[in-house]
Amino acid sequence: MSVIRSPRSLLRFSVAFAAALVGWVSPAVCEAAERPAPDLEAGGAAYLQHCARCHGQAGKGDGLDAKRFYPRPRDLTLGVYKFRSTVSGTPPTDEDLFRTITQGLPGTNMPDWAHLDEATRWQLVEYLKQLSPLFEESTPQPVTLPPGPGRKPVDLKRGRAVYERLGCAACHGSVGRANGTSAGGLVDDWGMPIRPANLTQGWSYRGGSDPQAVLMRVLTGIDGTGMPSYAEAIAPEDAWPLAHYVASLQELPQWNMIAHALVVEGALPKAPDDPRWDRAERTDVRLRNVVTPAGEWANPPTVKAVSFQAIANAEGIVFRFAWDDPTQDPWDGFALILKPAGAVGDVVTLQAWPYEGAPPLDLCYWAADTGQAAEAVATGFDQVLARTAPQEEPLDSAASYEDGRWHLVLQRSLQPASPEGAAVIHSNGFTPPLRAGFTAIAFAVWDGANPEARAVSPWTDLALRQEQ
Amino acid sequence: MGATPFFEEGFAMKRLERYSPVLIAVLVAIGCGGGKPQDASATTEATTEAPTQLAQAPAGQPAAGGGSASVKGSVRFEGEPPKPEQIQMAADPVCQQQHPEPVTSEAVVVNDNNTLRHVFVYVKAGAQGPFQTPTTPVTLDQNGCGYKPHVFGIQVNQPLEIVNSDPTLHNVNSKPTKNQPFNVAQPVKGMKTTKKFTKPEMGVSFKCNVHPWMQAYGHVLEHPFFGVTGPDGAFAISGLPAGTYAVEAWHEQYGTQTQSVTVADGETKSADFTFQAK
Repeated sequence: MSVIRSPRSLLRFSVAFAAALVGWVSPAVCEAAERPAPDLEAGGAAYLQHCARCHGQAGKGDGLDAKRFYPRPRDLTLGVYKFRSTVSGTPPTDEDLFRTITQGLPGTNMPDWAHLDEATRWQLVEYLKQLSPLFEESTPQPVTLPPGPGRKPVDLKRGRAVYERLGCAACHGSVGRANGTSAGGLVDDWGMPIRPANLTQGWSYRGGSDPQAVLMRVLTGIDGTGMPSYAEAIAPEDAWPLAHYVASLQELPQWNMIAHALVVEGALPKAPDDPRWDRAERTDVRLRNVVTPAGEWANPPTVKAVSFQAIANAEGIVFRFAWDDPTQDPWDGFALILKPAGAVGDVVTLQAWPYEGAPPLDLCYWAADTGQAAEAVATGFDQVLARTAPQEEPLDSAASYEDGRWHLVLQRSLQPASPEGAAVIHSNGFTPPLRAGFTAIAFAVWDGANPEARAVSPWTDLALRQEQ
Repeated sequence: MGATPFFEEGFAMKRLERYSPVLIAVLVAIGCGGGKPQDASATTEATTEAPTQLAQAPAGQPAAGGGSASVKGSVRFEGEPPKPEQIQMAADPVCQQQHPEPVTSEAVVVNDNNTLRHVFVYVKAGAQGPFQTPTTPVTLDQNGCGYKPHVFGIQVNQPLEIVNSDPTLHNVNSKPTKNQPFNVAQPVKGMKTTKKFTKPEMGVSFKCNVHPWMQAYGHVLEHPFFGVTGPDGAFAISGLPAGTYAVEAWHEQYGTQTQSVTVADGETKSADFTFQAK
């Protein structure tokens, strides 16, 4: 087996690669030339101004609203850092800390701080380091990546084979949808539930989604989590194919400001695989997860985004939704949310709905256990979940679940006769020149295996567009 | 701060490489399976126990500790033993297939003779150094999706050879507080990783995130005066010089108990411990 090499051959490799790598210096290292002399007072002041709100006055990760975040702000006094370029269990380099401050952590509430001047960011690095004794007790041991493929093509099939051989699928799933057999039982080093990354969602890779960042995570592991270091488990020639294969699993998101429904002549497609779907634009919407009534996370969110397309004709509209949910459960559910006709007032944020005095919403709710969808004008999600809303004729729908992903096709009228107050999707009558109005739509998703982590989207504008 | 090419056999290797080709040769031998496991646990049952671990000196070396006295005894368990917690291995068919019979947690194992298994008994105080560092590695085997042994002792700077005997991914997530933590992947059967602990530390935890039921405890001591109770509840600490020692029994759920034992050269003293059901 090629991954188990004798140390002797590894040493031989290392000499060759070390020689090749002398020229490799990260941009962050170059910036070190302008690094100011440490000034803990300046670092402390900047920390209190910019960081303490989340990470806490003393750096213990207990700032205002810390428990409402997922992932929670890091306890900086522990000295455990996820995104390093160093051997598992050793502290990050100064450049690692500088990079995280500068770039932030995508998919989390940690923003980028590139707008702070460089000197301030370096003072923050100095300040963070003295919050934990780890930096005194231990020394960063940087890991160097093997030489990249450059312009040579990378063998993705080989990458896939490495992905399988190294057991990545145990947590990340066979096609990367975070639905491996061990995904559900993971805890972090403090016993809190944690989820593996959905590798198809490159935008949620906290340490960066390019192959180089991916490879660094594979080799260093993500300390504090279940992600181990593969430095001793992967052969140098397998490293870049794996990293490129993982990057190839990413599906480029379409964060459209305005979603367009394709207007067609004749009947609407009923089947999820109707060829007309290929002509309909896709829009991705990120979801926010609702915290428990206590204002704390019970479990990490499992459904993080919804992808949708829409096709309309003069009478109706059909949506095709897709979302990743690691497990198929009877209590999985989905709601298309619209604003009822003639409603007074506006629901600005769905996370808080239904708050006292909130207007009702039009919910087209599909449930996995019944396999049916129905439309109701409701004053709370509980009404549709408990099926206590007045029973209407079911909407046309079809759903399928495959390898961690739901697909749902859901059809409704543009202007339904019932239920009373049903929302209108503005069509402007399709008279050219088309000036279709905008309709606000939103979504809520339930993962039956993670019921407290209901996910809701922001409002998204939908416009009907005739095919060019 | 020198960059470490990732594909070298761990950072311990890297450090040694700078010092001596002889040391490298020794490590190569260990890394290639030249080292013999300290205990002979070669079974495939997670519930089958390794024999009592004795802190024995490797053949051809002076008796560990250099003395001739021993402390022997057993650890009794009083009261109603807790119902063994059954482990669900369905998440990984590779694990499941190795266990046609139900597997139970090793956290509390009360033997048929009302003794407690997996108790680490060691000299807490009174041992006078310096002590020789064994070059024979202690083996921690991931076998049948369980750790063998469940509890072990190791001396400071003695190699710990972590082996994957299962054809499935294990990660070895160890979080000592006085020593350097690590979390390394062993995706392929037969993989070995060698680690060392440079400071004494009790209760170093080893966990596998892929199989959350997997748990082992290692105890890092300066000296070789320790034993672990097996299926008969007995332990033995040998090679002690004459003297008075604080002997402690450590159990992951029932805590610790300590007693003072004085031994003369050549003498074997008995020391029994009793843990009560909670």
